[in-house]
Amino acid sequence: MAIRFHRSMILACAATFFGCPASAEQIEAWRVFVADHSEPVVRAIDLRDGDEIERFALTGAARLHRSQSGRMVYAVQRDANRVQMIGTGIALGDHGDHGDITIGAPRLLKATLAGQKPVHLVERDGMAAAFFDDEGIARLVAEHAALEGTGEPQEIASRAPHHGVAIPFGVHMLMTRPHPSDPGALPVGLDLFGPDGAPAIDYAPCPDLHGEAQSGNLVALACETGLLVVAPGQARPEIRHLPYAAGLPEGKTTKLVGGTGLRYFLGNFAPRVLVLIDPMQEQENFRLVELPTRAVDFASHPAKPRFALAFTEDGHLHRIDVVAGRIDRSVRLTGLYSMDGHWSDPRPRIAVAGPRIVVSDPLAGQLHVVDTETFETMGSIAVAGEPFSIVAVGGAGETH
Amino acid sequence: MRSLAQAALAGLSLAVAAPSVQAGAEPFDVVASFSIIGDFAREVGGDRIRLTTLVGPNGDAHVYEPRPADAAAMTKARVVLVNGLQFEGFLDRLIEASGTTAAVVEVSKGAHILPVDGEAHDHHADEDKAADHHHDEASDEDGHAEKDHAGHDHGAYDPHAWQSVENAERYVKNIAEAFCLTDRDGCATYQENAAAYIGQLQTLDADIKTAIGELPQDKRTIITSHDAFGYFEHEYGLHFLAPKGLSTEADASAADIAALIRQVREERASAIFVENITNPRLAEQIAAETGLQLGGALYSDALSDKDGPAATYIDLMRHNLTTITSAIAGS
Repeated sequence: MAIRFHRSMILACAATFFGCPASAEQIEAWRVFVADHSEPVVRAIDLRDGDEIERFALTGAARLHRSQSGRMVYAVQRDANRVQMIGTGIALGDHGDHGDITIGAPRLLKATLAGQKPVHLVERDGMAAAFFDDEGIARLVAEHAALEGTGEPQEIASRAPHHGVAIPFGVHMLMTRPHPSDPGALPVGLDLFGPDGAPAIDYAPCPDLHGEAQSGNLVALACETGLLVVAPGQARPEIRHLPYAAGLPEGKTTKLVGGTGLRYFLGNFAPRVLVLIDPMQEQENFRLVELPTRAVDFASHPAKPRFALAFTEDGHLHRIDVVAGRIDRSVRLTGLYSMDGHWSDPRPRIAVAGPRIVVSDPLAGQLHVVDTETFETMGSIAVAGEPFSIVAVGGAGETH
Repeated sequence: MRSLAQAALAGLSLAVAAPSVQAGAEPFDVVASFSIIGDFAREVGGDRIRLTTLVGPNGDAHVYEPRPADAAAMTKARVVLVNGLQFEGFLDRLIEASGTTAAVVEVSKGAHILPVDGEAHDHHADEDKAADHHHDEASDEDGHAEKDHAGHDHGAYDPHAWQSVENAERYVKNIAEAFCLTDRDGCATYQENAAAYIGQLQTLDADIKTAIGELPQDKRTIITSHDAFGYFEHEYGLHFLAPKGLSTEADASAADIAALIRQVREERASAIFVENITNPRLAEQIAAETGLQLGGALYSDALSDKDGPAATYIDLMRHNLTTITSAIAGS
């Protein structure tokens, strides 16, 4: 398959992007991993030319997460009861005054987390925790162990099966507290487990808990009454409840993303409203961002800390200025994707690959590529099937 | 991406070219990167400035993560005061995120700066070199100079220059100069304020020298959590040991802690102190292993809150002096 290039994109690539060496020593490379919406396949695509590098056959359809280092992609297969792992083949090393990049072939790793109905996976500081809803158990694997093929997953059990999440936090583990009587209900709060696996505190209540994100050294989880904000503490993490600000219209957050480069959280709040949250701000710590139509997906913008991204059901990608608290650019990418229908219907997802933003278009079988600087479309990559969940890894560095 | 160096040059040009704040006009917006510089700014600027401090009391600038509100403050500011010497690892990305056109002033310029492994030199002759140290290609905060300390250092120079009161005087002069460039009508006020404050700093400096001078030579080795007191050592004659390096960002390794404990015993250190910005557990562990008493808390990289013992720079230095001398006297 090939990218349909716009002229500017051809010129840009000729100039120096996407694996074209800027000098004899400096290389930039970006890959997108794309999971099909319903088929058990993940494709690794080189963003330089849109070619498929590798295709991985999985057990079930997956939702993808990338590790913080970019060396790993986790393929969470809810209906196939497993999490498989893909080594991305890209490793970045920081040597202070310069960075190195190592580029190799992506590969499906032997490491697997198996259990009943994994849904949420969170990776933090090199440790991934997948929560298996139908067991109420979190299974953990260290990224380096999975890459090396060593080590055994660890397990921590919650009180009961439920739709939950586990988040590694240093030597501690955060895990949702199930509803005491209704296994189908959302969690009622957050438990903290110590290094010995024992509860470290009485749980932090937060009804209808759903949605979690990291920004800097903070973790935030959303619920009906506000957020739980977790920060490093002296002896153990400190958890505090941040209620929704008085004066906000009716709404609540059920999905969060965390800022990179700037510390903030962005969440949904009402059908056409997102909310920007600064938990450390004393006043105006919740700011609403209006969208033209309902949000389909939203993400932080690692390449541009001042901005976040949102995709709406009218087929537009928007750039949100998180300092000003409003949309400052928009571009039409796809046809209409209504948020009516089932929550799991195939809809676009956003990934940021350095100087490029990639948006999946499952119904058209395409990935759309947008230039980070100009916020203009650069072209699209045809992908078989329904390209859905996407993550991007890569960067720039010296090769030796 | 606009780096600190570019921001500094552009901002200074703008400050010179732009009309100054008029007499009787609204205060102009100033951002100080952390609480100690904020204190200096307040002393010099008084009510002619509207001050925002990014890393507040008891905050750790080594690991600070800026927020959208910080970017907003930077956008509004006419002057941004920073320590430089790679102390503020977050600065380049905050300058970029804010798009600020403010004058970004490295207040340590002209101070006597300690490289990590050599003699002090004046931080102005090698401005280009220093500027190069300030803007990394990536937005990482990690340092790059190698050093024989634990932790991940920030470059070729020790950034904690304010721990020498003589250097603090240079900071104050630089701030006054920056305010004069921005607000010529207020310049006389800034210079007057600076001169008065420098008088207080000179008294402080003399008092520290006197107090340290009275300590027995064989009792002048003390332990802190991170290597923040090199300038105090160089200026006043104490000897500081620390398990962590110039930055609090990385943890000390077990090997480094073991080496430090050996050194503590060999040099017969007098006391060990926690710091307001670091986790006390490491100091407590070393105290337990060596039999040293914890001498109290020192304020290294941040003021205390306003009700605490180090709410201003002068309070901070006097508190540290009293804490150190009392602990040594009691050891």
